[in-house]
Formats: sequence, C-alpha cells, structure tokens
Amino acid sequence: MSAFTEYLITGVARGLVFALLATGFVLIYRVTRVVNFAQGAFAVFGGLLTFSLLRAGIPQGVSEVLAALAVAVIGLIFGVITIAGKIPLLSSLIITIGLAMLSEAIAMLAWGSIPISYSGLAGHDFVILGAVVQRQYLLVLVVSLVLFGSMALLFGRTYFGKAMTACASNAYAAKLSGINVKRMGLLAFILGGALGGIGGALLTPVEPMTYNADVSLSILGFAAAIVGGLTSPGLAVAGGLVFGLTEQFVSGYWSPSYDTAVALALLIVVLLWQARRMRLEGLE
Amino acid sequence: MSERMRSLLVLSLAVVIGLVTLALPLVLSSSDVEIYVTIGLATIVVTGLSLLMGFAGQVSLGQAAFYGVGAYTAGIMAVHHWPSLVALMAAPIAAGVIAFVIGVPLLRLKGHALVFSTLAFQLILLVVIENTSFLTGGAIGLSGIPALHVGPLAISTGKDYAYLVWIVAVAVLLITRNLTRSRPGRALRAMAITASGASAAGIAVESYKLKDFTLSAAYAGIAGGIYVFFIGYISPDAFPVTLSIEFVIMVVVGGIGTVSGAFVGAAVVTVISQVLTSLGTSPSLPPDLPTVLSLGVYALILIIILRLIPAGVVGTLSDLWKKTKPSASNPVDTTGRSVLDSTVQAKDG
Repeated sequence: MSAFTEYLITGVARGLVFALLATGFVLIYRVTRVVNFAQGAFAVFGGLLTFSLLRAGIPQGVSEVLAALAVAVIGLIFGVITIAGKIPLLSSLIITIGLAMLSEAIAMLAWGSIPISYSGLAGHDFVILGAVVQRQYLLVLVVSLVLFGSMALLFGRTYFGKAMTACASNAYAAKLSGINVKRMGLLAFILGGALGGIGGALLTPVEPMTYNADVSLSILGFAAAIVGGLTSPGLAVAGGLVFGLTEQFVSGYWSPSYDTAVALALLIVVLLWQARRMRLEGLE
Repeated sequence: MSERMRSLLVLSLAVVIGLVTLALPLVLSSSDVEIYVTIGLATIVVTGLSLLMGFAGQVSLGQAAFYGVGAYTAGIMAVHHWPSLVALMAAPIAAGVIAFVIGVPLLRLKGHALVFSTLAFQLILLVVIENTSFLTGGAIGLSGIPALHVGPLAISTGKDYAYLVWIVAVAVLLITRNLTRSRPGRALRAMAITASGASAAGIAVESYKLKDFTLSAAYAGIAGGIYVFFIGYISPDAFPVTLSIEFVIMVVVGGIGTVSGAFVGAAVVTVISQVLTSLGTSPSLPPDLPTVLSLGVYALILIIILRLIPAGVVGTLSDLWKKTKPSASNPVDTTGRSVLDSTVQAKDG
C-alpha cells in the first residue's frame, strides 16, 4: 500500500509539471500553430536559475518568482526568433529545435554538466497512507492548481484571454477585429516561458536538473498536450497526470529502465489515435 | 549561355569534385582520413533525409536510430561469425524493414506529430539496446567486431574505408538523382507541394511516402553498417538524439531537397564540428567546452540559415545560377525554399 501511495504521489507531482509544460505548448500552439520544441528548456532554465538565485542569498519564494520572470523574458526572445516576420511553419518548428540545442549549450556553459538541486519547501516529510512524502510535493500540487485556476480565469474572464482564444480559432478574423496576432503569439511565448520556468523551479528539489533534461521534458510535455489535441488546456492537465502516473507505476512495478520507453510508446499510440479522430471528423 | 553549355559545365564540375575526392585519401593524414570517412557516411544518411524532407515534405528526428539499427545489425552479425560482407548487406535491409514496419502506422502522422514520434522511436530504441545486453552489449557496448572482408580482400586501413565510403556515397547520390528525375521523383515532388492535389492526380501518396521513408532508412542503415566496421566498437552513446538533429542541420545547410546539398551540408557541418573540437580541446580549457561549442554553433547555424537563407547553401547558389538564365527552361523548382513554403501552405489549407 505504501509503495502504491508513493508512486501515486510522485506520479501526480511529475504529471503536474508535465501539465505546466503542456499548457505552455497549448498556449503557443493555439495562437501561433508552432509546436515549441524548446518548451523543456524553459523548465531547465527555471530550475537552474532558481539554484543560482538561492545561492546568491535571495530567499526562497522570491528566487522562484524571479527565475520564472527571467524565463518569461527568455520565452519572449525565443518567440521573436521563432515567429517574427514571414516564415513557414515547418521552419519555425526546426528553429525551436535549434533553440533547444542552444539552450543546452548555454546551460552547460553556465552551470556545467553535473545535476543540480536545492532543498525545496522546508519542514519535515509527512506520512500519508504509510508513504513518506517530501513537503515539496505538496507545494507542487498547490502551486500548479493555483496556476491552472488562474489560467482558466485568464481565458474565460479577461479581454486578453478572449483575444488569445480568438487568434486560436481564426487568426484572420481576429486580425480583422483589430487584434495584433503576432503580439498575441509573443505573449503566448512569454506565458509559456513563465509556466515552464515555474515547472522547472518546482521540479528541481525532488529531481536534480541537468542541462540536457530538456529533451525528455519537452517530449513528455508534448505528450500531455497531445491528449487534448494540442488545443485543450484542461485535457492537457489530464494528459500530464496520465503520463506522470504511467511513468511512475512502470518504474515502480516493472523496471525503472522502461518508464520512459513505455510513456513514449503511449505517446505514439495517442498521436495515432488523435490522427484517426481528426481524419474521421474531417478536420484535416 | 546555352542549355547545352550549362549541363556540360555542371557535369564537368561533378566529375572534378568526384576526381578530387577520389584522390584525397592518398594525401590525407590518418586523422584527416577519419574526417573524410565521417563526411562520406553523413552524406549517405543526409541524402536519404533530404529526400524525405524535400520531397515527402516530412521531418524525421529519428534518422540516427536507423543509423544505429544498421550499425547494430552488422555488428551483432559480424560478432556471431557471419561473413562480414553479408553482415554489411544486412544493415540497410534491417533498417529498411524496420522503417517499413513502423512507417505503416507512423506515416499517417505529419509535421510536428511525425517529428515527435520519430524522436520517441529513437529514444525507445536506445532503451531497448541498453536492456538487451545479451545481444547488444547493453550500455557498455559491443566490441571485438572483426575486420570487413570483401571476398579475399581485407578492408582494414583508413584509406580502404575512405574508398568504400566513396563508392557507396556516389552510388547513393546517383540512385537518388535518377530517382528524383523519374516518375517517382515527380510524384514525390508533387506530394510535397500539395498532398491532396497529388492524390487527386492519381498519385498513391501513402505508398510513395512509405517507400521514401524506407529508402532513407536503408541509406542510414548502410552508413551505420560501414561505421561499425570502421570504428570496431559501438555503444548506445554513439547514436544520441543530437546526432539526429545534426543530420537535420546538414540537410538544412545544404538545402532541403537538393541532392548535391547532402554532400555540401555533410562536409560543411562535419568540418566545422572538427575545427571546434580541436579548438575546444586543450588541457587548460574546461572539459565541457567542446560540447558547449558544438551544440551552440550547430544551433546558431541552424537558426541563422533558416532565418536568412532558407534554401540552404546549394539552394541559394542554384537560385542565383538560375537568375543568370534568360528563360526559365526548368519549370519545376527543386530548391528547398519553395518546397518548404508550399508544404506548409498545403497543410494549412
């Protein structure tokens, strides 16, 4: 029982971090139609920057927020490089692959290749149903729920959110009604950067961060996002949980060597299922 | 300049490049011969990937996986005392068969979905290799691979491999050139511009895509097979995701969908990478520096080319070359830019 609870809690926590990345994928894809391969790099920068800020003596909490803001700026820069001017979509996608590589180079130059971690939420571990759980997991849960809630409010209740939804459903009509679609795309990159940055800052205390963690984070964040066809934030959160839990249960009950492989096989299945659904609904 | 003069000029340029590359191994030092072989192997892989990207309009981020399948197939067979030539021949067949099998479902996907699923395939393959150590040597790798024998001829020195790679690369380039100028090539090009239009014109889009994917994997497979005999040792570390990205960069540098671009892209990127490695490797410098430099420079090359000259080196040069021509005698544009543009437009529509 205690093992089950442990896998469940770590799976949910990892899943929520995937969901934060997935929400970034969805935001950027909905507005710009670009799949941002560098999404995982946002999390890497979030974790590594928090580490440096904490070491510089800036208190916990402030460091994470500052890191997320810095990654939002990185998001803006990536957005400009990816979508500014007239550029084919396939080129934009390949450029984000280049940006992911560039991020790895920068992260390795600044922080080296050794995994980095810092202590998360202070206080004793607590026990749920026989499993010892670090307090950081609680923080992951609370922060991501607050973020998902505020994203829902942002999209449902504000002009900005509605403008973004308008760009997503019909960029041409949005442009005609006076919305600056390019600027909305850049805003999506900023938000995507901030969400990824927070995800990385939350994850690093329970799972040391390395310069090259971005590929697996990107692909699992993408996996979560594809559950909702890259357009539904709610389904992306559900997708994050599915992939987080799959990984942890495979690792716990079968073998840790196969956790990612099974999650990736599941990704391929979901992709094929989505392609079939699109074809049946004539969305192609 | 008349049409005849032009084609004569292009032909003689190709012959000169062929002769120069043929003579090079005789004068190169042994470490330079290694670079020469690396360029040749990359040319073989990149020709296939360029065919896939430029003509089927699809990006595979798993090309290093097929390279790995070829290398492991040849390596495992050679270690188990199969004749080495048979092992080498099996490499492209194994890579092609696997590509065909996974291509049937995967090629229903396109654009970003295909990018991520081919990447996922590569990551899964690496896990499988690491966990089947009885066959592959696992994470430690497979060593003790015997030398390659073609009949009584032993291929052992760097120069031998340089010639073997040269022959295979030229064969692959010629096959691809003829293919792109024949009926299947025109069908593929039509597909890249508009898949639904091509399908309406009676082109079996799915089947051509699958054949293209299989062929590009087989190219990667034979390159992997030669690689394993040349190096004599393989481990999963030799086939990282960055290698797949590197192949994509080579395609982009040379020009998507240009056959000669494959060689140019492979040569330019490999030489830059070698220069960076030698610059960054010095006892006084931090040990991470070569990796930082190569990752950073690759990334910058990729971004800058896509931003400034999206048609790639060969594509841009041939654009300029065409501008010198008074009348457009070649109505089909084979350079990457147009193919890339129209692929996306077709997908949007």
